[in-house]
Amino acid sequence: MSGNDAFELVSERGWRRGLNTMLLSGLGRWFKTRMWWVQCLIWGSLIGFMLAAIAFNPQSPPVDELLVLFAIFAGLFPAVGVVIIMQDALVGEKREGTAAWVLSKPLTRPAFVVSKIIANSVGILVTMVVVPCLLAYAIITISTQSSPNPRGYLEAMVVIFISHFFFLALTLMLGTFFDSRGPVIGIPLGILFMQQNLIGFLPALRYVLPWDLVIPIGNTPSLVLYLMQNTPMQQDQVITLAAIVVESIIFILIGLWRFNREEF
Amino acid sequence: MSQTNSYVIETHGLSKTYKKLQVLHSLDLQVHQNSIFGFLGPNGAGKTTTIKLMLGLTHPTSGTASIFGLDSVKHSVDIRARIGYLPQEPHFYEYMTARQTLHFTAEFFFKGPKKAIDDRVDEMLKLVDLSDKADRPIKTFSGGERQRLGIAQAQVNYPDLLILDEPAASLDPLGRRDVLEVMSGLRKYTTIFYSTHILDDVQRVSDTVVILNKGKLVAQGPIEELLAGSEGVIYIIHLKGEVEVALNLVQSLPWVSGVNSNQSNEESIWQVSVTDPEAAEIQLLKLLVNQPVVVNEFRRKQYDLEDVFMQVIEGGQDVRK
Repeated sequence: MSGNDAFELVSERGWRRGLNTMLLSGLGRWFKTRMWWVQCLIWGSLIGFMLAAIAFNPQSPPVDELLVLFAIFAGLFPAVGVVIIMQDALVGEKREGTAAWVLSKPLTRPAFVVSKIIANSVGILVTMVVVPCLLAYAIITISTQSSPNPRGYLEAMVVIFISHFFFLALTLMLGTFFDSRGPVIGIPLGILFMQQNLIGFLPALRYVLPWDLVIPIGNTPSLVLYLMQNTPMQQDQVITLAAIVVESIIFILIGLWRFNREEF
Repeated sequence: MSQTNSYVIETHGLSKTYKKLQVLHSLDLQVHQNSIFGFLGPNGAGKTTTIKLMLGLTHPTSGTASIFGLDSVKHSVDIRARIGYLPQEPHFYEYMTARQTLHFTAEFFFKGPKKAIDDRVDEMLKLVDLSDKADRPIKTFSGGERQRLGIAQAQVNYPDLLILDEPAASLDPLGRRDVLEVMSGLRKYTTIFYSTHILDDVQRVSDTVVILNKGKLVAQGPIEELLAGSEGVIYIIHLKGEVEVALNLVQSLPWVSGVNSNQSNEESIWQVSVTDPEAAEIQLLKLLVNQPVVVNEFRRKQYDLEDVFMQVIEGGQDVRK
């Protein structure tokens, strides 16, 4: 590269080569385009509107029931958005040829995948968890004149994010195996909406699916509700939380392995 | 620098099979430093596959490719740090502008200073005549504009090797001319390896050519040698007069391997195949001048690339030099 004496060359080495550039680009896509406020608007208005419609009703339910509804809305609906966004992150780029283009630069395949995970996790955390949850907090506080415990609410937001991250990692992994959008969208959405039936069919599945984290099973409150109500977590739910984190890591590791074998 | 070290690209037995279909058969290539290397072949010949193998975007089934002496599988990122690549159909992030795309590309190579990167981006935009469209989103770009942006992003790091997959395919004649001028101008700084099906472009700028057909290398060599033809050196002679006597004399020469004679109007047209071009160059015309004939035309037969291409593709000839 003669003629480049005026430049400071990129110093990243090993698997991190190109990570910084891809990460900044991925975050730029979220926060330097209209994407961040469009997503905030979608999930904030969807969760906020549904919750407000119930909370400001003259026959408004008590705060505990509002918290249950909030957990269902915030834990279930944005997961659909996570799947749609994540399928585009890999399958979309493979199909459109942009993955092949950026991988013709000094960028490693693990750095490409990791940049997708980090940038989209940050975008999802801000627009699908933090903003809608803060809005919901305000609605619950105003409508009931009592605030949920802030620490417990914050921990509940972390659990909601972990539940979304499960679908992020699953969709990403599927995106490394398939070139068409159908299975990459269909499988995670199938799992998302069929969890209750699957657990009903085989109760042990409650330990490996994120349903129990955000949705009550029978009379047992979800983990998110326990946290918001500041009551001690049940051991079963701690096992589920740990399992979901481990599964997400396994999905990512499989995705990294598979993407290294991808042919463009 | 030894002869071996002057090869920027070297492949040995490079092969690729997709789902039992062999698309590249044991390709042996050598590309010299600072050459403009034309990579020709009909659609489906394996040109893009070869390029992707060199870039590490796909892995060889067997054989090796080494770029700058580095293995294309083991050191693919280090190789790509010194390469500029234009894909056959350039695809960029649609939400970015042309300027953002070039910045994004430059940041894979350089982390600063910002002013130097800005200047390089401006230089590239000017080079491909996109300065006035620099801040428009790419989704509004035409095919030709995307192609020009593709050429700019491939050069943003001043690469040691520029790999262009059909660089002039979607350009108008003026755009094509500009691209070829840019390529010629870069010859002293970089090696250019480019695939194309536009034979005229190859003949204008390339110094070495490879022709690939059905995944097999069927012709390789300096362009002058390929254009000299695979039939050996032939002289075309148009003459009148007592041609029989002259014909017998020419056929008796030790370095003449054959004479093909045709009659057109009152002229005889000979195609004289020779085994010693230097002797023919010096002696053949002199011999004829001393005979009772009038020589109206005397020239060495030149092929154009299209002739050679059709010969090797349709005739299945192997004219490796």
